[in-house]
Amino acid sequence: MINQPDNHDLLIEARQVLLNSLTPELTGARKYEALMIANAMSMAIRELGQSEQAKVEEADQAVSAFLAARSQPNPNIEGEISLAEAIRERRLDGREPALRDVLRTLTEARLGINSPGYLKR
Amino acid sequence: MIAFNKLSGGAIQDNFGLTLEIEGGVQSGLQEFVVRQDAPSGIAESLSRPEEFRVLEAAFEAGVTVPKPLWLCEDLDVSGQLFYVMTRADGSASPRQLVKSDFTGEQRRMIVRRLGAELAKLHTVRPPMRSLDFLTVPDQGDAALSRVSTYRRHLQEIAEPHPVLEWALNWLEDNTPEPGPTVLCHCDFRTGNYMMADAKLTAILDWEFAAWSDPAEDLGWFCSRSWRFGANEREAGGVGEKADFLSGYREAGGTDIDPAAVSYWEVMALMRWAIIALQQARRHISGEQRSLELALTGRMVAQMEFDLLTQIQELEDNQ
Repeated sequence: MINQPDNHDLLIEARQVLLNSLTPELTGARKYEALMIANAMSMAIRELGQSEQAKVEEADQAVSAFLAARSQPNPNIEGEISLAEAIRERRLDGREPALRDVLRTLTEARLGINSPGYLKR
Repeated sequence: MIAFNKLSGGAIQDNFGLTLEIEGGVQSGLQEFVVRQDAPSGIAESLSRPEEFRVLEAAFEAGVTVPKPLWLCEDLDVSGQLFYVMTRADGSASPRQLVKSDFTGEQRRMIVRRLGAELAKLHTVRPPMRSLDFLTVPDQGDAALSRVSTYRRHLQEIAEPHPVLEWALNWLEDNTPEPGPTVLCHCDFRTGNYMMADAKLTAILDWEFAAWSDPAEDLGWFCSRSWRFGANEREAGGVGEKADFLSGYREAGGTDIDPAAVSYWEVMALMRWAIIALQQARRHISGEQRSLELALTGRMVAQMEFDLLTQIQELEDNQ
């Protein structure tokens, strides 16, 4: 089914109304709530956006490739779960630069959605 | 009674301002107090009001700048909750306001030296102490390993995977510094939890996480990246230099602490805040307490993970 305008577009427009029309009228705790809503909408907008989705997919692939190269179980299913388990059980060397790279890729993909400004600091 | 009104801040406790006009006696005249009691959404791991009152008394006795604890009421018939009354300090605890303040370099130095000196006084309180017998002493005297095992247990209770936190927990387990003495720690000593009037400290607040621990835990928590409120270059709480903070601590009689141990506890602080944020998000996700603020806190964990990766790498590069 084609349903236009799509959810990405709806969220962008709704956020603009919230920030441009409503928020300036508010003060104190109500203003803080409006800004939290705008923040939550920004995350959802970025998560629906194609460029961030591509980064998330790249990060997931990087995890799978890393695990496969080290013969860790289930590299293709829920790679992040396998990675977390392998680290907890000390099956991987925490000092290995490739491990740190894959952890950084995952974290940057998540930050790209949650708080992109944090990466630029 | 002249005034009684709810004060802002404190998700776990409700604070009320109380103004009384007292006739006669030793405290004659207009007096301002704070009444502190449990809010409906108290969290299990913090101290009860009576316990917090005892900690506040111990800190006050040790000469720490705190509101003077006056009366504890354990009779639920009075307000429906346990509460206590303390003196009211002047000023503001707002971290954003403090971090943005236009202090001179000398003022910054004095503020963070003073904060270090306050911790040194607090850390003179040591176990055993009968009035604080509800606080548990860390296993084998190693507060760091004790924290690692607690956080690992909490992380396992979280449904989704967090490989960066698993990795950082291993690092924390493998790199523990020489343990310090066991002392009374505030355990939430950071910008936002002390009151300032102009450039002067008026009170250290929020004692509900106090515990017997390693003195470096309080020093590291204060300097953690999470509590600089954007002023990243000022390592001591977003206000001043770490070296000044530590020398204020040392010169006021604090234990001689290796700066590397403080750096280690800064990493531990990131871990602790990540675990707290995950638990807050869990309260929202499980339906126990639906809240946009708790939900957004869950999305902040990636920031702590990023800081953990960066800071551990920096520490290793500097070795």
